[in-house]
Amino acid sequence: MQAVSEAKRGRMGFLWTGTWILVLVLQSSPIQAFPKPGGSQEKPLHNRELSAERPLNEQIAEAEADKIKKTYPPENKPGESNYSFVDNLNLLKAITEKEKTEKEKQSIRSSPYDNKLNVEDADSTKNRRLIDDYDSTKSGLNHKFQDDPDGLHQLDGTPLTAEDIVQKIATRIYEENDRGVFDKIVSKLLNLGLITESQAHTLEDEVAEVLQKLISKEANTYEEEPNKPTSVTESQAGKIPEKVTPMATIQDGFTNGQNDETVSNTLTLTNGLERRTKIYNEDNFEELQYFPNFYALLKSIDSEKEAKEKETLITIMKTLIDFVKMMVKYGTISPEEGVSYLENLDETIALQTKNKLEKNVTDNKSKLFPDDNPRGKTDEPKGKTEAYLEAIRKNIEWLKKHNKKGNKEDYDLSKMRDFINQQADAYVEKGILDEEEADAIKRIYSSL
Amino acid sequence: MAAQGGRALLALCGALVACGWLLGAGAQEPGAPAAGMRRRRRLQQEDGISFEYHRYPELREALVSVWLQCTAISRIYTVGRSFEGRELLVIELSDNPGVHEPGEPEFKYIGNMHGNEAVGRELLIFLAQYLCNEYQKGNETIVKLIHSTRIHIMPSLNPDGFEKAASQPGELKDWFVGRSNAQGIDLNRNFPDLDRIVYVNEKEGGPNNHLLKNLKKIVDQNTKLAPETKAIIHWIMDIPFVLSANLHGGDLVANYPYDETRTGSAHEYSSCPDDAIFQSLARAYSSFNPPMSDPKRPPCRKNDDDSSFIDGTTNGAAWYSVPGGMQDFNYLSSNCFEITVELSCEKFPPEETLKSYWEDNKNSLISYLEQIHRGVKGFVRDLQGNPIANATISVEGIDHDVTSAKDGDYWRLLVPGNYKLTASAPGYLAITKKVAVPYSPAVGVDFELESFSERKEEEKEELMEWWKMMSETLNF
Repeated sequence: MQAVSEAKRGRMGFLWTGTWILVLVLQSSPIQAFPKPGGSQEKPLHNRELSAERPLNEQIAEAEADKIKKTYPPENKPGESNYSFVDNLNLLKAITEKEKTEKEKQSIRSSPYDNKLNVEDADSTKNRRLIDDYDSTKSGLNHKFQDDPDGLHQLDGTPLTAEDIVQKIATRIYEENDRGVFDKIVSKLLNLGLITESQAHTLEDEVAEVLQKLISKEANTYEEEPNKPTSVTESQAGKIPEKVTPMATIQDGFTNGQNDETVSNTLTLTNGLERRTKIYNEDNFEELQYFPNFYALLKSIDSEKEAKEKETLITIMKTLIDFVKMMVKYGTISPEEGVSYLENLDETIALQTKNKLEKNVTDNKSKLFPDDNPRGKTDEPKGKTEAYLEAIRKNIEWLKKHNKKGNKEDYDLSKMRDFINQQADAYVEKGILDEEEADAIKRIYSSL
Repeated sequence: MAAQGGRALLALCGALVACGWLLGAGAQEPGAPAAGMRRRRRLQQEDGISFEYHRYPELREALVSVWLQCTAISRIYTVGRSFEGRELLVIELSDNPGVHEPGEPEFKYIGNMHGNEAVGRELLIFLAQYLCNEYQKGNETIVKLIHSTRIHIMPSLNPDGFEKAASQPGELKDWFVGRSNAQGIDLNRNFPDLDRIVYVNEKEGGPNNHLLKNLKKIVDQNTKLAPETKAIIHWIMDIPFVLSANLHGGDLVANYPYDETRTGSAHEYSSCPDDAIFQSLARAYSSFNPPMSDPKRPPCRKNDDDSSFIDGTTNGAAWYSVPGGMQDFNYLSSNCFEITVELSCEKFPPEETLKSYWEDNKNSLISYLEQIHRGVKGFVRDLQGNPIANATISVEGIDHDVTSAKDGDYWRLLVPGNYKLTASAPGYLAITKKVAVPYSPAVGVDFELESFSERKEEEKEELMEWWKMMSETLNF
């Protein structure tokens, strides 16, 4: 019994390794279910939109502003406290050095980690001089990692190979039974643009392999069928092809696309790192029949002006699809759930797009406001629109809470909208609001 | 399996979040600018209150933000325009914004009448946001206040002067630049001097209240009045304000009427008929402001004469004579009792100090607001229950009457004690009632006045009755 559960735990650990990483986000969202855009939640649509949008922005802003700082999601990752900020720095430093020298390399086996990383020292948070760690002049890394037998050392002098590193990560994940370890590292790397997703893919594969070995080894010690994990996954894998055909098609479509030379690197934070495999092109968009809203969004983006954004979006989509594929492959979710998720994703994209468009419109209009303020012009309109949005959000929240005792249903949104429209117009007449502001406010309310 | 699946979905959602963010970020480069702005705002922000100086656009935006957050209890309006065309903005907070509910007293705060006295302006912006926040949090005191009062907040009566003062380079603002309005008029010397009239009336007899007759005509035809002054006067006449405070800077004291000396000397204590309640009102402000009420506080400047300051309060004229000020104009032309609060030794202190000024003053601002619910209040009606507007309510021993508003409602601030209140109106028979007044809340006293004609009818009926009785008795 225990063996089975151990094996299960191991398999879970392995599955966790196999699940996909967060792209560009450090903290997981507190949402505890499949993301469904607004409709099927307990909270009504408009509240969720308003409260969902700002946390995102805040999250990302915090992530950007506090790049080096580390914050832990409080609820569900107990094992990470040992994994220190210092180690991440080491890792990041190593990656930076490595990436600088690895521009044109196409190796599938290239691991983004070099041997400056010392996972085992996670507990020794003391006595690490960060400046030293981050001093790139100390790095001796000039060769592709695998072919370099000499030269790569830990800070304490002992050499560490790529395999060792992967081994260490896998071990840690296995020990803590927490794939969050892996998540944290990789998401940070991606966020800083120090690795691409393809490299993260690779890393994941490598770690997964090692982890699987670990699990198999352990399974063996308990005298369970050693290949039980693998056989399960194989049978799962067998099921996969039919159900995930749409996704596979999309994936293939992406893979087979031609290299569009005008598209710069997708991740806005990377500098000139060439993407290894996935190259996108307008022609591939017909694959996105499964994602009509996403497709529409891509179409609406001007290729010349916002090529970067377009490619980022494609990358993310592709990443998400891969993610789902992986989860299905490893049995974390059923194929039906995977498909359903992607459908919900598309709907959510539609929602976000709409919000973004509105925000863009109001932002653009804000920029036209006469500004006799010595503070920077770009700061002010954004600040004001944000402030207004935040105020409206608080108002809606309070009104809902307040009306709960009164009516069974939600407060009358259309009445509110009318009232706001009326007031906004009156205020414009009296010189209390600009026309643009009034329009923005009315628009915000009408989008609820 | 389910739990793990959930966690996987957590990660998925994270990816979604990323997707959403990228969609939302547009072409904006993440990093320094947005983060920098947010960082700056974060440093100085607290629950929507940003502790920094607001120029006119920011002032407007701040008030709009409060309104947007608290549409159910707020309303922005303007009482007119400054000389350079800036709106004299007011934000009103009440449970029924835009409406005078019969019996609900009206309060106002006015700041920045002298454009270079900046703290009051900022405090009032902070106050508006604070009241909105606290109301939504369910703060009982604030909820009660907003439900029982109509609060009007005008952060700046002299926005033109403020812009001039704020545009000065460097940290230290000049003592005078920006003080007056754009025409060079000191608004706090620009109001019709009713003190002079009341001093004459005291000696020779005459009304003790509402001394500005034919008001609108006088105001509109007076070329010496600044547009800001005119706007305020109309405002005072339109809304039956009960209590008010006028925020200044340059010293640290709560100043009450009269501002002008009776004899014309430079300074001598010149009490008004309501000296007792005014002292109490001034104390209600100063006692919650630690530096203001600190008896050991040294004067703002070495040679300042603050000998008249007691517990952070002072009679205006005892400090120095001010003719044509807004404070006394309120008292002598309307029912409104106003004091002048000097908030800061420095007229335009550094921005970093604003937060601490808020901390020093927020309790005072609330405490002073609550003072409106003191004394006696009620309705004056006729026998049919119809309101009698403009009835006079006089208090025995206090040579200052108040009048009832359009709905017959009146409010009479009084310190604790036993009083005789008389309500009278032309064509009606006066009624006197005895009232015992505690510190607070206000005691409700209503009057039902009998008109002369009704009394005549009554008397006639009485006469007829008597005649009938007589004739029956005497058999003729």
